[in-house]
Amino acid sequence: MNNRIGTNVLSILSLAILWEVVGRSVDSVLIPPLTQISAAWWKLLASGKLLPNLTMSLATLAAGFFLAVLLGIVVGLLMGRFRAVEHFLDLYVNSLMSAPATAFVPVLILWFGLGVQSRIAVVFLFAVFVIIINTMTGVKQVDSILVEMARSFGAKEREIFLKIILPASLPAIMAGVRLGMGRAVKGMVTAEMLLTLTGIGAMIMQYGSAFATDSLFAVIMTILLIAMIATKLVQWVDRRLTGWKAEIAVE
Amino acid sequence: MVEIQGVSKSFQKTVKHNSTELKALADVNLSIRENEFVSIIGPSGCGKTTLLKIIDGLIPCDSGQISISGKRVTAPGPDRAVVFQSFALLPWRTVLANVEFSLELRQLPKDERTKTARDYLHRVGLADFENHYPHELSGGMQQRAGLARALAVNPMILLMDEPFGAVDAQTRQLLQEELLQLWQRERKTVIFVTHSMDEAVYLSDRVVVMTPRPGRVAEVLDVPLPRPRPADEVRRDPKFVDLTNYIWDSLKKAMANHH
Repeated sequence: MNNRIGTNVLSILSLAILWEVVGRSVDSVLIPPLTQISAAWWKLLASGKLLPNLTMSLATLAAGFFLAVLLGIVVGLLMGRFRAVEHFLDLYVNSLMSAPATAFVPVLILWFGLGVQSRIAVVFLFAVFVIIINTMTGVKQVDSILVEMARSFGAKEREIFLKIILPASLPAIMAGVRLGMGRAVKGMVTAEMLLTLTGIGAMIMQYGSAFATDSLFAVIMTILLIAMIATKLVQWVDRRLTGWKAEIAVE
Repeated sequence: MVEIQGVSKSFQKTVKHNSTELKALADVNLSIRENEFVSIIGPSGCGKTTLLKIIDGLIPCDSGQISISGKRVTAPGPDRAVVFQSFALLPWRTVLANVEFSLELRQLPKDERTKTARDYLHRVGLADFENHYPHELSGGMQQRAGLARALAVNPMILLMDEPFGAVDAQTRQLLQEELLQLWQRERKTVIFVTHSMDEAVYLSDRVVVMTPRPGRVAEVLDVPLPRPRPADEVRRDPKFVDLTNYIWDSLKKAMANHH
């Protein structure tokens, strides 16, 4: 573990140095040196531009992701447990899983307008299907011997579901939640760039078209940071819940 | 006490839309006395495990019936408990919580569950491992936990499905001896499915030899070896050797008649 953190730090440091060197030797509009980006980032923060936009983006992300986790797990559990539900829904879930969620943005504008609801809906659509499919797969892969064991000791359907199916499929559910989190961040930025220019998506478009490359990179790095923190958060919850599964602790 | 009367069972086997009927058991008759240790032995696929599941009430039989103390079996009940070949421990629970599982389903209060579970863990020699997770234990220790979970509900009948099939040979002998000691203390009726002739003779009062599929009872043999049975002495006993040889012949005959 210590070794890993060391390697991570080494990786970041060498990338930073490389960036700085390349940035200083080419046109700074194309690749601004890292020091310039950091200065731009600090300016954005100090001018009070970054935080309000960031807060708005994160609120959208949290709302859309929460709904996706809730509905994704419920639908996934039902599809995994009941053949009829699976056959009824898997056509749509599978096609929507692979379809580019971006294509639905115009439809969402029609339904929800240009406000925050639409952006939440985009985040939701980006994240929900991967959660459904992972949950369903998890439920279907529960060792049937464990169910049989519970039944032999007199477990009722409800007890089998709560004491066997749910805990046994938790690692798969959490894998879906982790993947869903990544997709939710993508959905958030997509919505803010395609739908209405708000939040950090708006900042990207604005600095991009103004060739303010240093500020643009400052925003992009903020997004990377959010994605990293969000994923770490989900991993932390995952490890809390499924620490019993030795393999899961290995990322 | 356990009466198995004319039990037959078939399965539908579907391969690429072609449904064929697979006859697992055909007219099995057997009666088992209270506190008796009975082994069921037969070639793989002879329906031994199916028969055990029917006795437990996990699956219904097509015809015939099973009754325990005069009551017909239709579902799993508190008078029976199963020990599984693959242990069937819950990997997210500690050993203690695994043993408590069977007691939870019987609605025992929490402190009583823990007390009983600890007591049985002690009896199977796992007292020091209650906070370990199954994957941290050897196969033999996992099966001890499986045995404790079954014993904890204090069943009259212990149904054991090749319980020592997945552990190495030395551990297997050790577990056999321990099982006999436990059985002598707790006095339970044990129905023990195995494919090892040595194991069947060493453990049992009677050995039931089954035919290949569809399984029927080919022969029921008494094991006249005195108890307690110290493993090394018993295995050198000429009666033990004769019996295992006899069962081997009986199995061969059952298989030959089949083809």
